[in-house]
Amino acid sequence: MWIPIQINENSAEPLYHQIETQLKSLIISGTITEGTLLPSIREFAGDLKCSVITVRRVYQDLENEGLLRTRQGTGTFVSHVGDGTMAGYKQDAIRKALESAVDVGLSVHCSEDELTQLFKEIVQDKYGKQK
Amino acid sequence: MKDGDLMVQQAIELRNVCKKRRGKTVGPLNVNLPQGYITALVGQNGSGKSTLLHMLLQLTFPEEGEIRWFEEAYRDGLPLQLRQTIAYVPEISQNEENLWTAREAAGFRRHWYPSWDQGYYEELLLKLEVPENARLGKMSKGERRKFEIAAALAAKPRLLLLDEPSSGLDPFAWKIMIETLQRYMDEHEATIVISTHIVEEVRRLADYIVLMHQGQLLGMAEKDSLFGSWSEIWVQAEGGQALEELAAELPQALELKLETPGVASFLTQQIYQYEKRIHDLGVKVIKSRSLELDEILSLWSRGHRPVLIDQKRGE
Repeated sequence: MWIPIQINENSAEPLYHQIETQLKSLIISGTITEGTLLPSIREFAGDLKCSVITVRRVYQDLENEGLLRTRQGTGTFVSHVGDGTMAGYKQDAIRKALESAVDVGLSVHCSEDELTQLFKEIVQDKYGKQK
Repeated sequence: MKDGDLMVQQAIELRNVCKKRRGKTVGPLNVNLPQGYITALVGQNGSGKSTLLHMLLQLTFPEEGEIRWFEEAYRDGLPLQLRQTIAYVPEISQNEENLWTAREAAGFRRHWYPSWDQGYYEELLLKLEVPENARLGKMSKGERRKFEIAAALAAKPRLLLLDEPSSGLDPFAWKIMIETLQRYMDEHEATIVISTHIVEEVRRLADYIVLMHQGQLLGMAEKDSLFGSWSEIWVQAEGGQALEELAAELPQALELKLETPGVASFLTQQIYQYEKRIHDLGVKVIKSRSLELDEILSLWSRGHRPVLIDQKRGE
């Protein structure tokens, strides 16, 4: 199975952290569903052009978090993601995106009122279109 | 030391190994190659990679130092049982098999390798499209390579030594070789040492990199710890004066030069540590990029050893 993970070579973020964050969000967002068999460590390392040491670390970390489980001899599977984890993840993702938007506002000296007004407009615009 | 390192068993250990040739010495070499991993041996022509592989097979013997195979020194020569678990693809194929076809050569090799897997061998020959009835000596360089790779794997080795295995392979065969080696590693408790000039091969296969230069072993690194270790930065600089000031402020910068009027570039390690400093100097960064693996290795062989990125968990 091919896992859509994109490595940014120009990032200061260590390789294993990039892979771990992306794999985690693919699992929690439900893009990779429960029970999916992940590639073997060697296969995944070949795809990502990294070492098995890195992939093994990622699998172990996510196993410790309960997102993956390894069955001896068969491979590594995606575990059940609890609803609580899912909700927490959604909040985190939104919070991060909003924080970076507010940072942009601050950097161009946008006032609080102006920013709130813009936010409301965008929300009305986007949610309005969905109805 | 990382957690778990204590449990890692070594396939090969070299202690102060020296091989003296007329006018040229390889060594002293000190390195451990862990079991279960692929180690890429990189370095320019004549850096001593093949000599190292020859010593691992006892095709040649070091004058000094000690080599250990699977944690034993075997001072009286490698026992047959151990040899039967080591397979080798030499840089230049042996002439002895030139008059045989792939089938006949398999008959000979099967005799020496009790774990020879004929089914796997035939599957590989088919997959790699090795001509069945041609004599090995009459094959093209690439075809002969493919036979050698198939025959080495069919012996089901625990230790596989590959000396520039892909030289002469077309891109299709190359891809099959990479995938076959990966699968072999997946399905067996094997160790691979591969000498190569192909960066893409290192990127796809290697877990560890050992760099050799002019007979010296410059070091060993976990491949991913080199990731992002060097960056090239382009900054605004008005002229010679600004360049000199920049050089004084950033003594760690390498190859600082004016690219075009107004733009200077330089190389630096651990850019995230210097980003703020550059910013505080009032210098405007135009662009930055991480150096590629081959560039990192080339800097390393010129004496600029990379500061390895700490891959450990932040504990």
